[in-house]
Amino acid sequence: MAKPLTRADGPQSVPALLQRNATKFANAPAYREKEYGIWQSWTWAETHDEVQALALGLMNLGVNEGDFVAVIGRNRPYLYWAMIAAEMVGAVPVPLYQDANAEEMAYVLGHCGARFVIVGDQEQVDKVIEVQEGLHQFEHLIYLDPRGLRKYDHTTLHQYSHVQDQGRAAYDEYIKELDRRIAKLDYDSTGVMLYTSGTTGKPKGVVLSNRNVIETAKSSSEFDGLRQTDDILAYLPMAWVGDFIFSVGQAMWTGFCTNCPESAETMHVDLREIGPTYYFAPPRVFETQLTNVMIRMEDASPFKKRLFDYFMAHARKVGPSILDGKPVGGWDRLKYQLGELCIYGPLKNTLGFSRVRVGYTAGEAIGPEIFDFYRSLGINLKQLYGQTEATVFITAQPDGEVRSDTVGVTCPGVELKIADNGEVFYRSPGVFVEYYKNAESTAETKDAEGWVATGDAGFIEESSGHLRIIDRAKDVGQMADGSLFAPKYVENKLKFFPNILEVVVFGNGRDECTAFINIDLTAVGNWAERNNIGYASYQELARHPQVMDTIQSHVEEVNKSVAEDPMLSGCQVHRFVVLHKELDADDGELTRTRKVRRRIIEDKFHDIITALYDGSKSISTETEVTYEDGRKGSIKATLEVRDANVVSVASKMAAE
Amino acid sequence: MNATAESYTTEDGRTIGPVVMEMKNITLRFGGVEAIKDISFDIREGEIRAIIGPNGAGKSSMLNVISGFYVPQEGEVWYKGSRRPSMRPYQVAEQGIARTFQNIALFEGMSVLDNVMTGRLTHMNTGLFAQSFWKGKAEQEEIANREVAEKIIDFLEIQAIRKTPVSRLSYGLKKRVELARALAAEPSILLLDEPMAGMNVEEKEDMSRFILDVNDEFGTTIALIEHDMGVVMDLSDRVVVMDYGKKIGDGTPDDVRNNQDVIDAYLGVAHD
Amino acid sequence: MPEQLAFTIEVFLNGLMAGVLYALVALGFVLIYKASGIFNYAQGVMALFAAMTLVGIQNGQVPFSHLINAILGTDVHHFGWHVHSAVAIVFTVAVMVLLAVCVQRFVFRHLVGQEPIILFMATIGLAYFLEGVADLMWGSEIKSLNVCATAGTCLPQGLNVWIDETTYNAFGYGFFIDNLDIVASIVAIILVVGLVMFAQYTKQGRAMRAVADDHQAALSVGVSLNFIWILVWSLAGFVALVAGIMWGAKSGVQFSLSLIALKALPVLMLGGFTSIPGAIVGGLIIGVGEKLFEFLIGAPFLGGATENWFAYMLALLFLVFRPQGLFGEKIIERV
Repeated sequence: MAKPLTRADGPQSVPALLQRNATKFANAPAYREKEYGIWQSWTWAETHDEVQALALGLMNLGVNEGDFVAVIGRNRPYLYWAMIAAEMVGAVPVPLYQDANAEEMAYVLGHCGARFVIVGDQEQVDKVIEVQEGLHQFEHLIYLDPRGLRKYDHTTLHQYSHVQDQGRAAYDEYIKELDRRIAKLDYDSTGVMLYTSGTTGKPKGVVLSNRNVIETAKSSSEFDGLRQTDDILAYLPMAWVGDFIFSVGQAMWTGFCTNCPESAETMHVDLREIGPTYYFAPPRVFETQLTNVMIRMEDASPFKKRLFDYFMAHARKVGPSILDGKPVGGWDRLKYQLGELCIYGPLKNTLGFSRVRVGYTAGEAIGPEIFDFYRSLGINLKQLYGQTEATVFITAQPDGEVRSDTVGVTCPGVELKIADNGEVFYRSPGVFVEYYKNAESTAETKDAEGWVATGDAGFIEESSGHLRIIDRAKDVGQMADGSLFAPKYVENKLKFFPNILEVVVFGNGRDECTAFINIDLTAVGNWAERNNIGYASYQELARHPQVMDTIQSHVEEVNKSVAEDPMLSGCQVHRFVVLHKELDADDGELTRTRKVRRRIIEDKFHDIITALYDGSKSISTETEVTYEDGRKGSIKATLEVRDANVVSVASKMAAE
Repeated sequence: MNATAESYTTEDGRTIGPVVMEMKNITLRFGGVEAIKDISFDIREGEIRAIIGPNGAGKSSMLNVISGFYVPQEGEVWYKGSRRPSMRPYQVAEQGIARTFQNIALFEGMSVLDNVMTGRLTHMNTGLFAQSFWKGKAEQEEIANREVAEKIIDFLEIQAIRKTPVSRLSYGLKKRVELARALAAEPSILLLDEPMAGMNVEEKEDMSRFILDVNDEFGTTIALIEHDMGVVMDLSDRVVVMDYGKKIGDGTPDDVRNNQDVIDAYLGVAHD
Repeated sequence: MPEQLAFTIEVFLNGLMAGVLYALVALGFVLIYKASGIFNYAQGVMALFAAMTLVGIQNGQVPFSHLINAILGTDVHHFGWHVHSAVAIVFTVAVMVLLAVCVQRFVFRHLVGQEPIILFMATIGLAYFLEGVADLMWGSEIKSLNVCATAGTCLPQGLNVWIDETTYNAFGYGFFIDNLDIVASIVAIILVVGLVMFAQYTKQGRAMRAVADDHQAALSVGVSLNFIWILVWSLAGFVALVAGIMWGAKSGVQFSLSLIALKALPVLMLGGFTSIPGAIVGGLIIGVGEKLFEFLIGAPFLGGATENWFAYMLALLFLVFRPQGLFGEKIIERV
């Protein structure tokens, strides 16, 4: 039985929230942007005026209800306002990735039939002009930064500020109609349409209603106690659902301030200047930062290094407990305070995290050391799990229950169901309305009762109620003896080591698991430098016996950890090779988002896989590579195949 | 040929005005060596004028004469229709002529922002006492000039390094900062001494784009010394060719490319 | 408080204040060196000259009186008026500015682009010249300097009684701290802070830093080198005047005043020749170091009188291990 859709008990649309904020938080900062070296800011009242002016201007240009308005550019308040203004006039905002190339852009613009496109600068203008021939519904292009555009033909090209001026001039003419359209918006009307970057097939347009946006914003804000006085840094792509929910959804709901950095290069400086209280970053960002900190500490003077090690050890011991509010001894607390003064405080300041109350990460699995590091410093880093189709939030970790191996409990309003094959299904007020113009896909993903398939396999831990994701549903398999084969699980554990960049585990239908391993050139190179080991190429470094030994010890450590998991203990790695080249998207081995393409790798390196399973000690192989300019070459190498110690599970079970 | 007094419009819509600076029979000697031998040429308002020639031809010396660092023994410099008396370089700067240096002469101890602000010195007028008092006129002037400097920093896309001490920057970035400092003076004439030296293809493209944008957006007259023929042909409206202190060519890039003397002395085989 | 500790603290405080005065003298050097690359050997003499001019104007002395008397056979010494200190200071500053202009015009303008050693020799010549002029102008007797704001409040002499009593009551030991030292320190701090802010924030300060960095580049952005050099020498002259007043009030205005310049050398070696904060920190370190060393080690073990050479030993050590000084720019050659 389909659940009845949630009813609103407050503002029913994003524009309605803006109007509420303009009166309730009139003088509080709503948006900030760093231009010309200083932070310019707009209050909620000012924001409302600006957005309204743009909306009137759009009406003047002839935007109709139901039209699609594309928005392309880097994070700037003006572009967020463009999305809200589009909704105000009854149209649907469609943000696109600013670094999409012309064809990708053409596909999306053509698919949704956008009549109006609002872009940031000349670069985007040029891209749109390049493809506009093929866009039959495209009419008007509005740009924000006039640099370089003075000489362009302005019949269908307009400057953002001019559109606003025209809107203000035509206030009397259009205000009644605008108010009518705004009043017409309700929970069921469309808030935004976001295209999922298609790893398989063409991108699909996910339609999210105001209900999706506001209900999710409401429950997630309450879950984390977000306040009107919070600050976030908006630097993630506007086309991504996460940025939309943070910088528009939650921002509108709680009334906190969204800060836009000056440029990609100045992001770290801007982060430190703002000191956001609510922060999101993909796991890789946190990992890279940690690696950078560690590398820089290696170079520090011995005194500082000792100080750092001493206090960090103490932080790891008591920091997470203090953060979770658990009881900690008085003396330990005092030492922690001292550490806060000398080490943790300045470190957090350098990272820009001095004020972070809630920090989230999601996406690829993140290593326990990463969590420990940030939490021990007092930064409340947590995981969440979501998708565009859920308006992000499916599960999230509550304060005090943060672990690296789960993705949290269900967010308020979300229901979870695990199918027989292990696939995770969810249902919530945030579930998307449909895929635009693609009823078939919609039906495949969302069933009649509103349950959506995530495509991930997982289970709910009995003891804690947390969801644990094992792997992509289609990648989870079975070993020859029937035990669960979840390659990602092992791969992620191995990738936690800074020395290991990428891992591919094999074993579906086989007796034992084996692995390909890529070393991380930066980390291992650093170590080699420090130990006076010379190397002339990646290949040479990858073959070095000491490197192989280190990797072997990592594998054995992971094996021990894997053995402890009752469900997945069959996935220990028995044999491995260190590959002679890094897996690369250019060679087709990884997707553009750095996800491993198993079938392709299995085909390409089948000789190495054979060697892994037939007991060979080494294998000579030749691999084709594509250089950056498109030329092809090949690399020859002889790889050593190593065995790794495996913890015998049978004996463990017998011991119990 | 275009008469010197008239303005004309180029193909891409820029207006080139009348002659704004003219070198008449300049001769410059260092002891017994004649670095420049009786050279005359003019620069029109709003144009991009390239000065090219093999090493040692006297190009930098010519630029130094224009900017007042060298005083020619013979000849006259005419600026905006009247003869320019011999003056110190800082007085030339006050007249609205800004320059960059071949080997970069930035204030290494200062940050990028401070360097760009020094470019604004000719526009700052508050006296010593007002400055010592600070509040009021001096502060307002500082803020107004800071805004101009920031716009230029934005224009040249160097926001990320605005607080970095210049000594720490790479060569390409230093060149860009020097350009920013010269632009900060809002000059009528911008003299660039080998702006592309030591840059790779991508950096040259960026620098070319900036030079064109400066000329297009601000209408600044630009005289540049350059070795890269491709750049010269693409960017400039007119070219002066020097060799051993003498002028051996003067005209549009096409004229110069086909000039036999120039080919013999400098270009070798003329090619695209 | 144990007597040894209290005494040490007293010595420390006295050292700080002595250090502030050293810093003041060093500052004059730094200003000129930074802007023109000249090491001004004449800085000490400038302090002497400034102090003598101040006394002379204040007391209504006739300048060059001996010379005039010798040539014209007259016997004039004083104008008979007494100029108020504040006015006298203003006039003295004007004289120092005039001096700066003359020095710039007649000496250094002609030496632009010369080797540093030649410029240094010019300042040696200037020092002797100025010393002679000072003698001719004002006579070589020791003069006492009484700078007074109003009829009653002059630069204080003698120990500060309040500190003595308060510390005695609080710690059981009365700190002997000279009033003059306190005033001198405060004035010096204000002066230093003012100079630093001037250099950092004002337009002329920026032009000064530009000239200090690169003459050619400064010219190309429209900075008149002459104007900046005159400004810098004037500032150095003003600093010299303050130094001269402070030292002169302590021990009278006499020709040995010019030797305070020698005390500045170790300060510069410690702090770096081009750094204003360096001059301050260097001065403080030398001041404190000197006094503490004498008190703790010199008097008991080495027979005393170490104040004379301690500063130089310290500077020597620095030259060996850190030639650019604590704050000077590290000399990195970019190959």
